[in-house]
Amino acid sequence: MNRRKFFENSALSSAGILLGSSLAGCSRRTESDMAAYNIMSEVMKYRKIDAHEHVDLHFGGPEVQVDYADRLGIERLVLSKPVITYTGTPQEFREANDHVLSAMKLFPDRIMGQVTLNPVYKKESLEEIKRCIDQGMVGIKTYYQVKLNDPLFFPVIEKAIDLNLLILMHANCQLGMGGYRMKYDTHLNPNTSLPEDFVDAAKRYPEAMFQYAHTGGGGDWEYACKSFRDYPNIYVDTSGSNNEASMIDFALKYMGEDRLFFGTDSSYYQGVGGILSSKMNEVQRKKIFFENYNAVLRKGGRDVA
Amino acid sequence: MLLDINASVGHWPFQQYNYNTCGTLLERMNKFGVSISVIGNINGIFYKNTQSANEELYAEIISDKRFSERFIPFAVINPIYAGWLDDMETCTSKFGMKGIRIYPMYHDYELTDPACIELVKTARDKNLVVALHNRMVDSRPRSWMDIQTEWSLKDIMPIIRAVPDAKYMILNAANSMDLDDNDLELIKKGEVVIDTSGRSTSKLWELMKRFGSDKFAFGTHSPILDYTTGQLRIEALRDSEADEKTKELLRSGNANRMLGI
Repeated sequence: MNRRKFFENSALSSAGILLGSSLAGCSRRTESDMAAYNIMSEVMKYRKIDAHEHVDLHFGGPEVQVDYADRLGIERLVLSKPVITYTGTPQEFREANDHVLSAMKLFPDRIMGQVTLNPVYKKESLEEIKRCIDQGMVGIKTYYQVKLNDPLFFPVIEKAIDLNLLILMHANCQLGMGGYRMKYDTHLNPNTSLPEDFVDAAKRYPEAMFQYAHTGGGGDWEYACKSFRDYPNIYVDTSGSNNEASMIDFALKYMGEDRLFFGTDSSYYQGVGGILSSKMNEVQRKKIFFENYNAVLRKGGRDVA
Repeated sequence: MLLDINASVGHWPFQQYNYNTCGTLLERMNKFGVSISVIGNINGIFYKNTQSANEELYAEIISDKRFSERFIPFAVINPIYAGWLDDMETCTSKFGMKGIRIYPMYHDYELTDPACIELVKTARDKNLVVALHNRMVDSRPRSWMDIQTEWSLKDIMPIIRAVPDAKYMILNAANSMDLDDNDLELIKKGEVVIDTSGRSTSKLWELMKRFGSDKFAFGTHSPILDYTTGQLRIEALRDSEADEKTKELLRSGNANRMLGI
């Protein structure tokens, strides 16, 4: 039964039924106001690079990620396996990167890898960047062992500048994390990078490229986006499970259309749905889904044709 | 057709959300192909006397005939506040409301409170749907003035155990869907639907195997969550996971059955 038939035939179309007898007398209405909307056509219309995805962290191996990508027309997954222990030893991050390298070999046309490391181990981290970039990885992903603006991080940032690599940094911003209301204890690692830490690093290294992780990942995205307004080398990805309706439009308002990346962090439907629901125009949607990230890749000659 | 069982109007006091009036919500519905929306008034979460919010909603709906044709209003009822029974009677018999939304976390009572049980039994006897949100917003970036508590599915079970023959809509399922065998059986036998707006419904095909395809219905959690993710979770299902008949149940059939329309 199509929608018009539904309205014409169902009890709903009878005046007053929805609201009961008190509203009897309202006239019958058709769906003339309603646009024909095919959401899957909209989804498949856009080329997409998922700027924030992991392997063996949330939902299983790379075949799971690629399966979701197939459903939603995601052409490339930028994928990493961060070490989520406090120690983050060289053995741990090498093993994590080997997982990613294996995934890249399994799906060479779909998966682009990011190298993870721990700046506490300067020599091993720099060696690991070389090992993984030589094998085709396209960026750096780091977790909460060291803050982004810690001097321990500087050699890694400088290497990233040399190689035109984007640094995707895990981040958070909420009560007790991020410059306000610090009396709250979130039980999160105090070394987690905050918006202020990104700004500090961005000021010190204006030629570096930083990606603030998952605006929808549980952080206060209004606080973060306002913090980044004047720092053109800070990008945000819109991944995470908290797909608040205003988030994309707010990020667009404060950061502009060139510094936003589509991402999922394994929240695939939210990642796509948030952008489809936003006020973005066609040009902006193409940018956030694909072109902005590809432009960053292009700086290092790693872009997608 | 799409029937959204989880939309709201009204003001969230800690953050600005757009599309939170009947007029702006209707624009969203028209743009994204949603025929009907079940709505409640968010203001009722924060007013001590929730009936003021129900009156606001009624006044807004009757202000434009398009609203009465496209919205199914639910009343916000607080069973530990004076006059709730009269309020419920007014909302159903005068305002034509088809169900109630209850907010124990915000209104500060337990689901097992005798007043809550009495309310749900009364709703059952009046053939009204009882709707409960697992959470209104993600508690991680919450305001310092907001509550910290969120529910998982098992946290709702005490009221379903107490009144198993009422009709329930479980909204914005954002946390664990794990249940023991007894509770799972209770859900399967009962009149319960879970909307697709919550993050825990992303693997819908697996959930349908466990709970049954009659237990899920399209929802947006508008204006708080984005408008299309709940729809995507249905439309991105492969044919092997949900045939067209099943998708129609998810889009509107299961909700229609519960609402009796």
